[in-house]
Amino acid sequence: MKRLAMGTTLAAVLVVTSACERPPVEVVNVGFRGVGMEHVENPRQLQDSVDAVLGREPTEGILPPLGGDPAPPGTHQNVQVLGHLSAAEFTRTMNAVTQWVSPEQGCNYCHWVDPATGVVDFASDNNYTKIVSRRMFQMTQDINANWTSHVGEDRGVNCMTCHQGQPVPNNYFFFDGRSDPLRSYVDNAGARVQGTTALTGEGDNRQSIKQTEYTYALMIHMSNSLGVNCTYCHNSARFADWEESTPQRVTALRGLRMIRAQNMQHMVPLQDVWPENRLGPMGDGPKLTCASCHNGAYKPQYNAQYTWATDWPALTEIGYPNPPAGDTTAN
Amino acid sequence: MAEFQNLLTPIQVHGPPDPGVPTEHSERNRVLGPGSMNYLLGKIGDAQIGPFYLGWLGVLSLLFGFAAFEIIGFSMLASVNWDFVEFIRQLPWLSLDPPPPEVGLSIPAFGQGAMWLLAGFFLTVSILLWWYRMYRRARQLKMGTHVAWAFASAIFLYLVLGFFRPILMGSWGEAVPFGILSHLDWTAAFSLRYGNLFYNPFHMLSIVFLYGSAVLFAMHGATILATAKMGGEREIDQITDPGTAAERTMVFWRWTMGFNANMESIHRWAWWFAVLTTLTGGIGILITGPVVDNWYLWGQKHGLVPQYPDVYEEPLVPVQPGELDAPYMGAPSAAPLPGLETMEGAGPVPQVMMDVSIPIAGTDQVLTWDMEVGR
Repeated sequence: MKRLAMGTTLAAVLVVTSACERPPVEVVNVGFRGVGMEHVENPRQLQDSVDAVLGREPTEGILPPLGGDPAPPGTHQNVQVLGHLSAAEFTRTMNAVTQWVSPEQGCNYCHWVDPATGVVDFASDNNYTKIVSRRMFQMTQDINANWTSHVGEDRGVNCMTCHQGQPVPNNYFFFDGRSDPLRSYVDNAGARVQGTTALTGEGDNRQSIKQTEYTYALMIHMSNSLGVNCTYCHNSARFADWEESTPQRVTALRGLRMIRAQNMQHMVPLQDVWPENRLGPMGDGPKLTCASCHNGAYKPQYNAQYTWATDWPALTEIGYPNPPAGDTTAN
Repeated sequence: MAEFQNLLTPIQVHGPPDPGVPTEHSERNRVLGPGSMNYLLGKIGDAQIGPFYLGWLGVLSLLFGFAAFEIIGFSMLASVNWDFVEFIRQLPWLSLDPPPPEVGLSIPAFGQGAMWLLAGFFLTVSILLWWYRMYRRARQLKMGTHVAWAFASAIFLYLVLGFFRPILMGSWGEAVPFGILSHLDWTAAFSLRYGNLFYNPFHMLSIVFLYGSAVLFAMHGATILATAKMGGEREIDQITDPGTAAERTMVFWRWTMGFNANMESIHRWAWWFAVLTTLTGGIGILITGPVVDNWYLWGQKHGLVPQYPDVYEEPLVPVQPGELDAPYMGAPSAAPLPGLETMEGAGPVPQVMMDVSIPIAGTDQVLTWDMEVGR
């Protein structure tokens, strides 16, 4: 009887604690004392995660900046968004992109090989991946040039931030029956549900519990994307109050607007480019979320330098086409 | 300490079951009679099971309750395409939700919360019948009706959550879903929507009475067990004829906290604490929305919120004028999802609540509940 009771107790403890992580848990106070403004970390898991990030750093194919004036007209064919680079810098960028996005598949992941001759046609747009990657260059240029309020003047993002050495990044979303709250990442501008007056009769807030659930879902998605809890951005007593929020909340709002702009300007227009096997259950192409760059870290890849845009003029300036030979109106 | 001080729990007396006192007209309704003895139950309580009293109130209540249980269960099963394995696996996350906000107080279509309304109706009928059963059984036994009225306090909170408040708000969608995690999500969303429920004074009172109930429960249980060897558990004797046990417990509490309940009034304390938990909680929920929109701001207005020093740095890129103005979540346009021609396959688009208009019978007038002016 006693053995049975002990066995049952042990089994119950195992079941109850099976979803728990092994200690230690470190709590960092990030606000005024005693108001629950706390950041919770498991240092062991954090270290594992940082080690994994550092282990992904490309070890070859990344050259120091080469700079130089834009390549003269006619240097390339069908270069539409990297005409602001010198020929050397262009080649350096192409080598790096291969390491960032398709290290195993190589150049031909995007560039088309003529099956008749077996020769690579670098100018061809036959592969959908080429068209997508051009759009991704434009998107990265836009982020680094126009959204420094989110990605920072001296940091920015490069292809590695999302792709981590894989052709398809780890985190994106499609529409399905349960992703409606994530429409705020695409075309729904609002997320506020709390009113600005104490009494109902004084205000105009008609947000229902359902809207609140949607905002809640979006916020938890952001929280998971960044590996942080609510108080990383919000005041613990009143989530809506900007005065008592952390500065990170302003950065996050800018980030949300950035994602929305990128999805509408760059991801959604690719709809007709994707092949069927890249589409979601409702037939839409992949779209960005906070997790696309952040991958569960409060700063993408814990701020590892190999994910910065610094030293990559291909990604920090808005590009333009390399003009055909003889065109003197360029630049 | 770790031994029994009297015979009541360690010794089980197994004999002919006690059929209970005779009452008018009630003999024929006693089922599972004459009762049986169960050793394991005897380890924690009285060993006798039954007879169970099952009048028409009990039968109807069980039927309605069973119907509600089945509607909820089968709706959840339908939500995972009748896959029983998925039903078990996802059970904590499955939910029977109330109608979406745009339905207001009308009868929703199937798939739009009709099943929620039906399940809620059956469950409510079942609970009310069970309440009346508690009341009638107590009366038949010539007892007071304290149990029924304590139960009524809990029913009040239940009705506020699922009936009274949704009606005041003009939307069934305000009510709590049936589901293990979904009703917890509702609780979180409710607090978030109304600016932090912790600043609601009725919520504060409810917490006081809830935690107070637990403390009183522990104090009373401990006090009686501590005097069991002097007959402390014979509470009726102690009430009418205080002896060593009652005297000592009262001295103990006077010594430790200055005053004491008596053997009878401690049960009134406990009863009122328990009853007031759901009563104050229900009032707090009822005025959240119909009267108060943001409890934090209400607390600020009434000096409830301390001012904390501003300890955060400014963002690296200064905030531009108007940058932090963000619209409500609102109802998104019914336009197709970006990149797609169609909304087919998407979940329901969330709508804001509508104002309530109720036609007044016999006239062409319409009674409007206008949230903006609060009447």
